[in-house]
Amino acid sequence: MKQNMTIVPGHFGREPFFSINAVGNIIGVNLAAEKVLGKVLSELNDCYFKTLFTEPKKAEEMLHRAITEGAISNFQLSFVAEKGENKKNFVLSAFCFADAGKQQKTIFAIASLPETEEDRFKKILKEIADYKYALDESSIVAITDQKGTITYVNDNFCTISKYHRSQLIGQDHRIINSGYHPKAFIRNLWVTIANGKIWRGELKNKAKDGSYYWVDTTIVPFLNSESKPYKYLAIRADITSRKAVEENLEMSLKETSDYKYALDESSIVAITDQKGSIKYANYNFCKISKFSYEELIGKDHRIINSGHHPKEFIRNLWITIANGKIWRGELKNKAKDGSFYWVDTTIIPFLDENGKPYQYVAIRADITQRKQAEEEIIILNEELEKRVKERTEEIESFSYSVSHDLRGPLRAVNGYAKILEEDYNSVLDAEGKRLLNEIQYNALKMGVLIDDLLAFARLGRKEVQGSKIDMNKLTATAIRDINQTTDHHAQIKISKLLSVKADHALLEHVMNNLISNAIKYSSKKENPVVVIKSKRGNRELIYSVSDNGVGFEMEYQHKLFGVFQRLHSADDFPGTGVGLAIAQRIIKKHNGKIWAEGKPGEGATFYFSLPETI
Amino acid sequence: MENTDIEILLVEDNRSDAELTIRALNKGKLANSIVHLQNGALAIDFLFGQKEFAQRDTNNKPKVILLDLKMPKVDGLEVLKTIKSNDHTKKIPVVILTSSKENPDIEKAYALGANSYIVKPVDFDGFAKAITDLGFYWLLLNQNPF
Repeated sequence: MKQNMTIVPGHFGREPFFSINAVGNIIGVNLAAEKVLGKVLSELNDCYFKTLFTEPKKAEEMLHRAITEGAISNFQLSFVAEKGENKKNFVLSAFCFADAGKQQKTIFAIASLPETEEDRFKKILKEIADYKYALDESSIVAITDQKGTITYVNDNFCTISKYHRSQLIGQDHRIINSGYHPKAFIRNLWVTIANGKIWRGELKNKAKDGSYYWVDTTIVPFLNSESKPYKYLAIRADITSRKAVEENLEMSLKETSDYKYALDESSIVAITDQKGSIKYANYNFCKISKFSYEELIGKDHRIINSGHHPKEFIRNLWITIANGKIWRGELKNKAKDGSFYWVDTTIIPFLDENGKPYQYVAIRADITQRKQAEEEIIILNEELEKRVKERTEEIESFSYSVSHDLRGPLRAVNGYAKILEEDYNSVLDAEGKRLLNEIQYNALKMGVLIDDLLAFARLGRKEVQGSKIDMNKLTATAIRDINQTTDHHAQIKISKLLSVKADHALLEHVMNNLISNAIKYSSKKENPVVVIKSKRGNRELIYSVSDNGVGFEMEYQHKLFGVFQRLHSADDFPGTGVGLAIAQRIIKKHNGKIWAEGKPGEGATFYFSLPETI
Repeated sequence: MENTDIEILLVEDNRSDAELTIRALNKGKLANSIVHLQNGALAIDFLFGQKEFAQRDTNNKPKVILLDLKMPKVDGLEVLKTIKSNDHTKKIPVVILTSSKENPDIEKAYALGANSYIVKPVDFDGFAKAITDLGFYWLLLNQNPF
């Protein structure tokens, strides 16, 4: 049994403690128990535990239940004692302890004094202190007297207001007044709390450094026995960041309404539902369409349909916006009075959470004047083109029939001269024959002139047919043709030429003409040389044909490309003066340029450029 | 004239051109019998035995017709159209005479059934050669046409 005593913990604890064997005999006590009972252990040892109490049966029951249930508590018992004090109303708890072999069971019982009023008060105070701690930790707390003078601030208050505690105590709340709230708002606060009611609200305060902060505030008045506030407790929570978000939101909202105002002022605005029924139309819409607001609402846009646009165009518009895409375009609308107006239109679909349009906002700008001007220009251009075409056709048919009809008499002159030559040869003397020859020579020359003039007129009618041209082949063909009809001794040097997109027949004509000229005008040199080259310019290809012939004076170069303009007499170099005019006309039809450089006696270079198409 | 075979019918309003053409044809010894008519209306009357040609045997057909395009009243194209749309005359070869190969009427003439064309060059030698060459070709081709 002795060894059991050693396991009793808290031998010197504040509360009375007992060890009891399975039979109910005391086998050990602590000092507190000895003190309560006014006896020492030797006097108590082996006593029945239950005999210590005024209600032994209740004590016995406790032991019994401790054995059967293992542990039991909250048995209120009073000790029977002669000398001890404070014996009454102990609250007992007991538990049973079995040794390893479960042979020996020991019951431990502890008796604690019931809670006194003071205990409870202390406990409440502690609780209050805990609450205060929690409040101080979590909130911004200040206490003022009934006049509003600050008597207490916590650390959080000092932190947010950036004042030292000593700078706050004795001041009133004006020290952190931001001036933001209207006077009526502050008066209402004071009226509320002065009447003993709690005030809740959001306040904007100013910190010592001039920065502002927002606090969610609850002011609780503390009332005296006459229900008059004698102090106020203000509990605040920092809501500056939330307020900042709110302020931003407010600002965006204002901005949005500013934008709407600006839009309404500047543009023609209408909102329709997903079916196209008009839900909103602004002043400008009414003004341009000449319909009243009431006449428009609930209608669809057919009310202003001009019928100008093809169905396909309108269908495309609807498909675009029904698919949630923005449509932009120019629309012709009809006003109530039947007049037409043009609007540059942007239709923006507003999408629901499923991405489906639930309404359309159409923003339009009046472009009627621009469109009218455009239409006028188009009509004028068409008219002009038509007139130019008519004139061109007139001129061409005129020049054609002139050249055509000129040939008849010429043929007659030539033909009769020939008859004269054949049938009256014996009658004519040498001078007569020479004169007859001159007649025929001039008639033939006029025939060539007419042919060239016809060829030049024909170019005006011809459409340019574009195809990829191997200029090396084209040049070779031109030279072959020249060699067949012309007897010459020029050396022709050809570099590798760049390919170009152009009209093959026309370009061959140009090459033929330039090379023929080069050969013709260098024919009187001892060693005539013709050089053909090409190079790439700025988005154009430049071809050149050079010779070392008679050349020309640069001051006359503008005359080179005129019809029937010549820089040399036909006796020196035969020709009619149409060839270069034709070449220039062809190159111009290709949106290219033709020009020449020369020096008398040294030679000439003719260039032409063609756009480099990719 | 009605009893001889007509070899060439020349329809040409230009007096000079007609004279030169006939001279070229005679020089080439191509045609023994050439009929020259001054305009298209006469040509149609001649071919179909109308008006002043009412007594003519229309079965006596020319072996080739040389037809000028540009004529007053009934022009060459109209004559050609009449010839080629009539079973009686459509097999007679028609050679078009024109002042220029640029004449857009040449294409129309081909579309209407013309067999060939001759450009009347300013150069008389060239003109004579063209006339004889082409006349020769068609006369040979039409040795026994009907």
